[in-house]
Amino acid sequence: MQSDTAGSWVPVALSSDLPALAVMPARIASETVALWRSASGRATASADRCPHRGMRLSHGFVRGEALSCIYHGWSYAQGGQCLKIPAHPGLTPPETIRVVTYAVAEQDGVVWAAAGAPAGEPPRLNGFAPLRSVTVDAAIGFIEAAAGVGMNADGFLSPADAPSGLCLLLSDQGAGQTLVHVLIGQDAGPSARIAASRAVEALRRRAEALSTEGAGA
Amino acid sequence: MNKIGMIDEWYPVGLFSQLDPNGRDTWLMGEPIRVAIDGEGNPLVTGGNGRVLAVCVRYGHVWASLGKPDHDLFPIPEADQPGRRLVEVGVVRVRCSPLRAVENFLDIAHFPFVHTDILGSEPHTEVQNYKVEIREEEDEVWATQVKFYQPQAAKSASGGITTEYMYRVPAPTCSVLYKTCPPRPSEWDVITLFVQPLFEDVCDVWPWMALYDDDTPMTDLIHFQQTIFLQDRSILENQIPTLLPLDPGMEIPTRADLTSVAYRRWLKRHNYTYGAQLVAQ
Ligand code: FES
Ligand SMILES: [Fe+2]
Repeated sequence: MQSDTAGSWVPVALSSDLPALAVMPARIASETVALWRSASGRATASADRCPHRGMRLSHGFVRGEALSCIYHGWSYAQGGQCLKIPAHPGLTPPETIRVVTYAVAEQDGVVWAAAGAPAGEPPRLNGFAPLRSVTVDAAIGFIEAAAGVGMNADGFLSPADAPSGLCLLLSDQGAGQTLVHVLIGQDAGPSARIAASRAVEALRRRAEALSTEGAGA
Repeated sequence: MNKIGMIDEWYPVGLFSQLDPNGRDTWLMGEPIRVAIDGEGNPLVTGGNGRVLAVCVRYGHVWASLGKPDHDLFPIPEADQPGRRLVEVGVVRVRCSPLRAVENFLDIAHFPFVHTDILGSEPHTEVQNYKVEIREEEDEVWATQVKFYQPQAAKSASGGITTEYMYRVPAPTCSVLYKTCPPRPSEWDVITLFVQPLFEDVCDVWPWMALYDDDTPMTDLIHFQQTIFLQDRSILENQIPTLLPLDPGMEIPTRADLTSVAYRRWLKRHNYTYGAQLVAQ
């Protein structure tokens, strides 16, 4: 899985789970990133390691258009350059101090990120809208087995026996975990949404049981 | 790395006041040890194969060595001054390198961000120049003339003050901090960090203090220090890499980090590399 996600778009979060001024950890292939949204609403994915003393930037805080590290408060722009070193307020940080940043695109309510240079736009949801995200303690293969159908090249999967209008968007988290974005028809009513949530819950349990059996075998 | 260079050093393995005849099982640099008290009231520390380890009792703690220490435990002359209250803070388990725990203790620039409104606060973030040296005779790292603005420097301080500090590293996993003592301007409060290396990436931190403070209840003093260390733990368990990089290149020090730079250099010079990462790896 991991080799072909380098350079391709990964659905790292739902837009609604990343409000302005929030920061959260996310996975792109084998990398952990700090995913954050600025005051003006722009989402950025920065490497999850502060170059000063190695603190995870996903534990940091957002002020205005910059991400600050929680350890000594060094702050970084959306482009990755260090803007401020609070211990030396009079100093302009040298250009060389920067964190790696990743390509980010946001559309249809999903935040996508890519390591390397992705070719083209992320896939469209084509009439679907995000409902919520769930982390499943099972690798993608077990979710496919539980769903009775494989995932397509863009990471979409429509479970065989699920209510119509349900689609899952999968993202490998490593360590036997998968982030599952639950998508549902744009004009689904409340009962369809409840049915979709139930179907996903049942699928999660089947996949995790298969994963446990698989690990025990 | 490995423990060769650090095997003959002393490490804290428990509070003397809490010794128990049945013994407490713990670890020292990857080796299972049992810390107990014998029939005469002396500490008895045994290693994995039942061999009896060298021990001493000092500063409220039992100290042990896996090797053959050719030196006594470092002195803290202030600890014996009459009138000080000796505070046994207890233990905090941290999933980090023992060396990272010491380095964090030497750092003041994090006060406004990690110990917000206690040891520091924005906008008072500037770290003034201070002096760092390796004292060859004692073979210790020292930082002096360290000053920092603190909203509440100690339990006995009310309101913000600029506090002065001196930091001292007398052993690879121990540090002694001398800090302005509000009730007695001519003396220094002593706050120590004694770190027991369980493994290269797990340690038990045993803070201990010798303070001039007759008023604050003991539980408040302990609670204050524990609060500080729990805040530090949230940092220490989230640094990458887990081991302390001793070679330059991986991290970016500034003038505020000169104590850390000297500490790393001193560790490397002595081959104190248990819990360290070298470029060659
Ligand atoms: S580790 Fe990030 S600012 Fe120091
Ligand atoms: Fe701290």
